[in-house]
Amino acid sequence: MKKIAVILLCICCLVVFAVVKTTNTAATIKLDTSQKKFTAGTPILIQFSSLRVVKNADLFLIHSYGKTIVKGKVDKNKLRFSIPELYAKKTGTVSWYLIQDRKNIAAGQFEIVPNDATPTLIENYLGPTTILTGQDHYTMMVAIPTDSYDNPKTDNTTVFIKDQFLDDITVTTKKTADFIAWKNIYSRTASGKMLISTQCNTALSKEFETDITPSIATNFTIDYARNHQFADGNQITRLRTSVIKDQFGNLVGDGTLVTFQVTTKNNIFLKTFAATINGVAIAQLLHPDHQEIYTVKAYVTGMAESKPIQIAYQALIRDFPYQFLEKNRKIVVGPLTSFMNQIVPDGIKVELKIFHKNKLIETKIVESAKGLATFILLPPFYKQSAYQFEITTLGVTKKTETIPYENYQ
Amino acid sequence: MKIINNRNIYKAAFILSFIVISIFTLFGMAKILDYLNTGADRSAMLHLETKSEDVYLPKVTWTKLENPARKMEKNTLGKIERDYLFSWHIKNKALQNNTPKGIDDYYTMNTRDNLYKVIQHNKAQEITIENTTLKHFPELEFYSEDGQLVVFTDKNVIEFQKIYLNKKLLTTVQDTATYKVMMLLEDGYWRVRHFQKMEPSPFVKDSIQPEPEYSIQEDKILKNKKQFVIKGINYYPKNSAWDTFGEQFRKDTIAKDFDIIKKSNLNSIRVFIQYDDFGKANINPEKMVKLKTLLDLAAAKNLGVMVTLFDFYSDYSLDSWTLTHRHAEQIVSTFKDHKAIIAWDLKNEPNLDFENRGKENVLQWLDHMVTVIRENDPNHLITIGWSNSVAASQLADKVDFVSYHFYNDIKHLEYETNTLIKTVKKPVVIQEFGVPSYGGIWNLWESSLENQAQYHQKMQAYFKKNNYSFMSWTLYDFPKVPDQVAGKWPWQKNRQKQFGFIDVKGKNKPAYKYISN
Repeated sequence: MKKIAVILLCICCLVVFAVVKTTNTAATIKLDTSQKKFTAGTPILIQFSSLRVVKNADLFLIHSYGKTIVKGKVDKNKLRFSIPELYAKKTGTVSWYLIQDRKNIAAGQFEIVPNDATPTLIENYLGPTTILTGQDHYTMMVAIPTDSYDNPKTDNTTVFIKDQFLDDITVTTKKTADFIAWKNIYSRTASGKMLISTQCNTALSKEFETDITPSIATNFTIDYARNHQFADGNQITRLRTSVIKDQFGNLVGDGTLVTFQVTTKNNIFLKTFAATINGVAIAQLLHPDHQEIYTVKAYVTGMAESKPIQIAYQALIRDFPYQFLEKNRKIVVGPLTSFMNQIVPDGIKVELKIFHKNKLIETKIVESAKGLATFILLPPFYKQSAYQFEITTLGVTKKTETIPYENYQ
Repeated sequence: MKIINNRNIYKAAFILSFIVISIFTLFGMAKILDYLNTGADRSAMLHLETKSEDVYLPKVTWTKLENPARKMEKNTLGKIERDYLFSWHIKNKALQNNTPKGIDDYYTMNTRDNLYKVIQHNKAQEITIENTTLKHFPELEFYSEDGQLVVFTDKNVIEFQKIYLNKKLLTTVQDTATYKVMMLLEDGYWRVRHFQKMEPSPFVKDSIQPEPEYSIQEDKILKNKKQFVIKGINYYPKNSAWDTFGEQFRKDTIAKDFDIIKKSNLNSIRVFIQYDDFGKANINPEKMVKLKTLLDLAAAKNLGVMVTLFDFYSDYSLDSWTLTHRHAEQIVSTFKDHKAIIAWDLKNEPNLDFENRGKENVLQWLDHMVTVIRENDPNHLITIGWSNSVAASQLADKVDFVSYHFYNDIKHLEYETNTLIKTVKKPVVIQEFGVPSYGGIWNLWESSLENQAQYHQKMQAYFKKNNYSFMSWTLYDFPKVPDQVAGKWPWQKNRQKQFGFIDVKGKNKPAYKYISN
């Protein structure tokens, strides 16, 4: 037991001795450099002195961008450290720890400030680069002025932020804080281009652009134009919007999509689309092939709409002829004549419904050519002795008598 | 003697060589194809969300998000924080290895040059620096309207570094500084554009007053302001030795064991939380539920619990500091108001890692861990379970009471304990002691059931006489002991299995009579 006690005592003594020794060293080394602020890019020398000849030591530096050890140079009772150039160029607080014999014997810090003697550089960020017209929208210009070593300038550096819109040129003076000077540049009621630039000392930025685009569309009206009012299934009705503008009277951007929604007499929906050019969208709609009334309403989806309009189409014909040929196996519909007794354009749909004992067997559709539509009922397919037919074209339906047929063997 | 037919040998050789050549040709072609298929994954060009492992998790607390420009979105803040921490991690790694790996991902073009120069300079001088930051308190200063530029002040960053010159440790330094940071969103990364070190700001004192149940007065532990002598036992359920919170966790088993402990005139237990088992930096919630169940049961039976953290953890490197901090933080802050806990025991026998992991590393890790735990749980006591009384005086000024494990000859007990109390001037707990009842060929019939009983009888006499706090090793004999605990050899394992007061069949051993005083 005594042995342990003795050993413990020895250790205690050693510890006490070591502590006393360290305190001595620490007390004797003194920081000579009183300068606390250095300019970036200038040489930085930190000097310590002691009453006696000093032993060499290392200086550990913690800098914004890195950490390193600087070897000291001993000159009798002076100990000098020259801060490496790469550290001396960048701003910020530098903490140092003096290390001698693997012990930290002193610590302190100094500051490197931006070098205002070097030419100023300026970095700018503008965004968003498209904004809408109106009072609520703005773009933000952020300017970061630096010295030539890419160190942000100290707070309260003056930056001019300039913007131009039409005849209106504004220059604002802003002070930097947290590296940056910034300004919200508000949109105008007219659409167009806004130019923005900044200046700090002699450093000038390039020209930045923000597009002021029209705000959302406001309600508009629609109109239509057509060649004639007949439901010939051939002509085209043009649907046209009024000039669509935003609330400030700016034309909406070209390509704004307008949806025209058509409702028929039977509540069937049809749709046609058009994009605006110079604020006007023109859509096209094929005439129906039967008497019809269209109700049309247009939308810029989610933004604006028109009042509905009605378009009426007259029936093209009241009646049409047809005949049975070749033992009733060939049915010729037509000639179909139009509103001036002219032959209808080719491609009019003619529908033939074939009934046998009042039961629908088949529906055939052909398109007219030169005003005629021909149906041929081949005996192998139509073996019964009698059929009845219903013919529909251009909105008119005619029902025939029951037609007898020769038996097919 | 023409037993061997030459022609057949030639034939066989010919066919064999053909097969061998074919194999090699195929193998070579496969290699070539393999090589042509290597290279960067094309999707990497898109910089899609990279899934990151937990490599660096210092404590980050945004103290202010109001700023004069755009309102910060939670999602963006998360990305900024992640990329900012990566920028630190990359910088730390760069200083540690003097390689520029990853710098161009997290620093903008102008800024990365500074780091390249720093690395070059340090590499030339053979300076390497291991770093970690422990805490960040960023305050948002500015977030631009277009969401591409952000400025914040990272206040009072605590940095810890080990400085090596020519691969020899020169010193360790802890520094606190404030950093002003500008980051830009480029290619989907938030990259550092400007980074400026500033003087730290004054710390704001925490005004919350802790309300501890257990406290310390000179060399006594108090419970509700009355002296409390720990009469405890190290506890593992019988069938899950060194795996209390594992698959075999049963509430009723533990409840029964706690009844036994309570009836044995004991007032506390010691349990172990394994670092890996609890999920490292990302705590496994399932384990926390089990821990809470155990603590609630202990509270119901009026048993105090000493919770030993970081069991089986042995990497004390700076790389893992922030991860271990988050581990401890999540556990202790969850249970900071739990009535059952007497103390957090930081680590079981950390001095055994001195040799392999470096004494300084271990002590610095423990030192910082004390701070982390105290900050997150001011209500409970802190101790470290040293493996002997000499090591136990280390960091004594940091802990609330000193714990050591006594496996020496019984006659040294009083001397060692009293010396320690005198040295540290704090309460001392004999946190582990015991002998196995195992006597067999492997230890030359060193012990027996009777020997064990006699040992505990003597120990309890000393405890009673001196009013020592004790926690014996252990309640049960274990049918199974994992290899990593004592070793894989039968003479190591068999001994470790039989330290209990109750045998594997659940019968009290003679020593049970002397489980407490």
